[in-house]
Amino acid sequence: MSNTSSDTTEDESLITTEVETGSANWSPALGETAVAARDLNVFYGDEQAIDDVSIEIPEKRVTALIGPSGCGKSTFLRCINRMNDMIDVCRVEGDVEFGGKNVYDADVDPVALRRKIGMVFQKPNPFPKSIRDNVAYGLKIQGYDGDVDARVEESLKGAALWDEVKDQLDSSGLDLSGGQQQRLCIARAIAPDPEVILMDEPTSALDPVAASKIEDLIDDLAEEYTVIIVTHNMQQAARISDRTAVFLTGGQLVEYDDTAKIFEDPEEQRVEDYITGKFG
Amino acid sequence: MTDSTESPDLQRRSGLRRLKEGTYGGFFAACAAITLLTTVAIFATLLSDAVVFFAEVPIIEFLTSTNWSPNPAGGGQSFGIVPLLIGTIVVTVTAAFIALPTGTLTAIYLSEYASPNARSILKPLLEILAGIPTVVYGYFALVYITPVLKATLFPEMSTFNALSASIMVGIMTIPMVSSISEDAMSAVPDELRQAGYGLGATKFEVSTGIVVPASISGIASSYILAVSRAIGETMIVVVAMGAQARMPAVGETLFGIPYFNPADVLLDSGMTITVAMVQIAGGDLTGGTIPYDSMFALGLALFVVTLVMNVFSDIIAERYREEY
Amino acid sequence: MATDNANADGFGEVSRVRGILFEYLSLGASVAGLVALGVLLVYVAIDAFDLASASPGWLLTYFLTLVIPFLAFCLYSADDSAVTRRVLVVLAGGLVAVAVIFTAIEAFVVTIPRLSWQLTYLFVVVAPATAYLAYVGSHGRVGAVGFGLLGRLVGGTAIGLAVGTLFLVFDELVWFLAYTLGVLPAAALYAYGRRRDAGRAVTAAIPVGLVGLVAAVFLRGVVRTYPSDLIIYLWTLAVPIAAVGALVVDARGSRTAAVAAGGVPLALAIAGGFLAGNVGLPGPTTLIVIALTGVPTAIYVHRVVDVGDGTVGLGLPLLLAAGVIVGALVVEAWGVPAPDPWLDVSYVTEAPSRNATEAGLYPAIVGSVIIIALVAVLSFVLGVGTSVFLEEYMPETGVLGSLTRLLQINIANLAAIPSVVYGLLGLGLFANLLGFGYGTAVTASLTLSLLILPITIISAQEAIRSVPDDLRRGSDAMGATRWQTTKNVVLPEALPGILTGTILALGRAIGETAPLIMIGAATTVFSAPSSLFSRFSAMPMQIYAWAGFPQAEFRYGVVAAGVITLLIILIGMNGTAILLRNRAERGS
Repeated sequence: MSNTSSDTTEDESLITTEVETGSANWSPALGETAVAARDLNVFYGDEQAIDDVSIEIPEKRVTALIGPSGCGKSTFLRCINRMNDMIDVCRVEGDVEFGGKNVYDADVDPVALRRKIGMVFQKPNPFPKSIRDNVAYGLKIQGYDGDVDARVEESLKGAALWDEVKDQLDSSGLDLSGGQQQRLCIARAIAPDPEVILMDEPTSALDPVAASKIEDLIDDLAEEYTVIIVTHNMQQAARISDRTAVFLTGGQLVEYDDTAKIFEDPEEQRVEDYITGKFG
Repeated sequence: MTDSTESPDLQRRSGLRRLKEGTYGGFFAACAAITLLTTVAIFATLLSDAVVFFAEVPIIEFLTSTNWSPNPAGGGQSFGIVPLLIGTIVVTVTAAFIALPTGTLTAIYLSEYASPNARSILKPLLEILAGIPTVVYGYFALVYITPVLKATLFPEMSTFNALSASIMVGIMTIPMVSSISEDAMSAVPDELRQAGYGLGATKFEVSTGIVVPASISGIASSYILAVSRAIGETMIVVVAMGAQARMPAVGETLFGIPYFNPADVLLDSGMTITVAMVQIAGGDLTGGTIPYDSMFALGLALFVVTLVMNVFSDIIAERYREEY
Repeated sequence: MATDNANADGFGEVSRVRGILFEYLSLGASVAGLVALGVLLVYVAIDAFDLASASPGWLLTYFLTLVIPFLAFCLYSADDSAVTRRVLVVLAGGLVAVAVIFTAIEAFVVTIPRLSWQLTYLFVVVAPATAYLAYVGSHGRVGAVGFGLLGRLVGGTAIGLAVGTLFLVFDELVWFLAYTLGVLPAAALYAYGRRRDAGRAVTAAIPVGLVGLVAAVFLRGVVRTYPSDLIIYLWTLAVPIAAVGALVVDARGSRTAAVAAGGVPLALAIAGGFLAGNVGLPGPTTLIVIALTGVPTAIYVHRVVDVGDGTVGLGLPLLLAAGVIVGALVVEAWGVPAPDPWLDVSYVTEAPSRNATEAGLYPAIVGSVIIIALVAVLSFVLGVGTSVFLEEYMPETGVLGSLTRLLQINIANLAAIPSVVYGLLGLGLFANLLGFGYGTAVTASLTLSLLILPITIISAQEAIRSVPDDLRRGSDAMGATRWQTTKNVVLPEALPGILTGTILALGRAIGETAPLIMIGAATTVFSAPSSLFSRFSAMPMQIYAWAGFPQAEFRYGVVAAGVITLLIILIGMNGTAILLRNRAERGS
């Protein structure tokens, strides 16, 4: 936390203000804000997918976004690295700030943005290339000049996959099992050393054993990265996250707090109903 | 964060990288633009010379004169499209008599009766029919089909004749009918077939009474495409049909409606629009002469007819497509 | 249902006669066109190879020395007693059936011209059985190895001949300079950069290569002395091919094998190149053919031996060669009357002639190869560019979405325009307006490229569309630009499909005649074209010209041979396309 403040000098004043005027849930002990949304509204054509969401997500923590399907949590995730730009009918209003900079400003290049923010998808999607080339992909497209092999090894170790694949780096990423493929995708995401990693239901396509390995991994990742994970598995959110944001139908952020607080003593009746399984 | 530079630099890329990205995008756009330019160029090329032609030969004469002789030995050129139209229509209709029923039955067999195995063998084999070079078909018609027909059914047939050419055009267009029709029939949902069987219909009754009517728009659009292909077919007729623009003897029936005997045209040599173009191209390409310009007038007619038919077939397929 | 009232003791029966008749009618319709084409192809093959005059003894000799060993090889590879039994029954039963039916028809109905029951048996029974067995056999390891080796030999020879042909019109001296100054330094820089992870060397490769190419064009007029053709081909083609072969084998482990895989074909190619002149073959082309055939063969043999499975299959080419030689010896020794095929070596190496027995297709083949090579490059670049633009760059909705739809409809309409109209476009635009000349290879290539462009685009779009969106999103989320996603993820995945579609479209282009007539291509030229702007002929043009000759030797001999040549090339191209597709499907 101390090492980060020096790096955000140019936006320091802005961030400081945010911290002070943040929502009631904000606890300064959590550290600097990595990603913040302010009055965010997202529409698909005429349909509103995100309804006036404001949130501040702390860095180097795991933040879980939970809620029933269609509640806008994935949409919110994709606003952070502007993957929603790919959808023609999608319209975004309001600010999403990353490192104090609104990513929807006109001068922001979404491609440059995505190079700072890794993403892991619901279904493992390794490229039909070798394991080495998969991990090195981000380095290659960014024109990385250093020792690629060392970074590949480091990333695979970071994704707890190195020991399983170190002898077959040149075989296809598609030859791996589903859980291994997903860890390969995580290795691919962390290889260019992003600041934030977005995960969109990363374990929902995996068997329980593979899923638990990914959960352990997410815990480790939070030591170095800000992890924002969408899940509709509430136990998973409770197990792995430090902060939890509950989205309910209509794209509203209903409650956002420390995970323990959300699961033990939520403020809102609706959240309690959702968590105890009364609906959703 | 391990990196020392943490303040995110999200600025739009400038300079070399931006230029590179733009160059590729521009290159792809240029490729796509070439397809549009091709259409424009075809239209412009045909029109510019056709306009010159119609300045020399009045359009009424072109459409009504029954004599086509662009390069007569003794002089006295004449540019009447009627004999060419008759040749084209006779070939197209005869070919349609072969291709449409055969193609439709093939589509029904493939979609309703054939086992998956038989279908996986038959479909690519049928595509071969459309892949044989047309000059080869023309050679087949001239060298193998005509002698056989002459020896068996039509002793009075001439060496160059419309019938052999039409048979080959018909065989060549079978896959066009069958593949599009089969796509349409395969798209008919199984629930409709089940409903038929539930009412006690036989497979034959389901195929002809339910599947064919349900996919009629696809079948019709395949017919139009096949006919348009037959109209534009060149080499088969050039090789097998000869190059004599003949006007058949026209009789008059009741109420003065003119008619001609199709056999007159079928068994004798004749000329289609495409043959007329090839014949002129074989002689005179320097430009500036009326026969040269007449090629472009004929080409324009061909272009417009095939384009209209193609658009028409699209509209039929779009508008009357059953929404399942 | 004997009782009057069927419903009293059952449900009765609905007549299926109509349905069964209809089923057979539709089956008949499905195969009618194919049967007609099959019969015509049989006749054209008989004419081209003069099989009508083949004596039964000649047929029997080659049946025993060539066909039977091949069938035995396939049966051995299939290793399936059910298949063996089935094939033997078909071959034996077919023999009897064809002989009886054929004789009966000849005796009681009508005499069938130019066919004997032996030939009929060959075409109706043996040929399909052989095709079936080759298919089944290729699934066994031994058969796969045998056909793999055969494919490399044939493919290498075909590509070698095509490359040799291209140098008839392209200046090999420019190529020599361009290779030495541009291609070689660029490739070396790139390889060095990749090996040492020096990104700067990789980036420098392209500018260095470009400078080299420009320098080559500039120096072409300045430099006066050049090495001989043979040395040029050796230096610019054979050596790099051998080097690549050696590297491929080296990557799999063995260094000595690598030296052998590169060195032996290279030595053979050099020897062949220098000795070819003595037997009247063109040295440079011989060199290229041996290098292009030998190196892939060497790599393949090394791999098969390395894996150690199905090595017996490597004997297939020898088996076939031995069959041909033994057959020829037997025919020679016993004086079996042999046919005199129209389609022979001299047919594809000689110029056309008024005299049927001397007529050849060589200049037309060269013309076709050159045009197709240019068309391949043009339509591939334009087709991929357009399809990438439509699929990756353009949105499907909004104002630009309407433009996408407009482009799409336009492409569909272009595909339906008759080829003769494209000929007019070529005549008016390329030949007259832009001045590329009547009937030149350039005019023809441009015209045919535009003609097949819609087909290429449509198939390339399908291939690109079949790349899963997951992969694109994965790449986008890594911060790849659109071009990076296209280049690194989409195109590699779609490439086999794109190539398949392009080759099939080229098959269409190689048979097109009408546009060539319209742009004034020569029906007959007596020497191979020497530049891109010289008048040329093409195979279908020559066939068209000869088909108009009234003499029977042309109608039933020379043209038939031309048709078979054209069809063999077409089958080769389409077969390659289908193999490519199957391999890609198996890979994913």
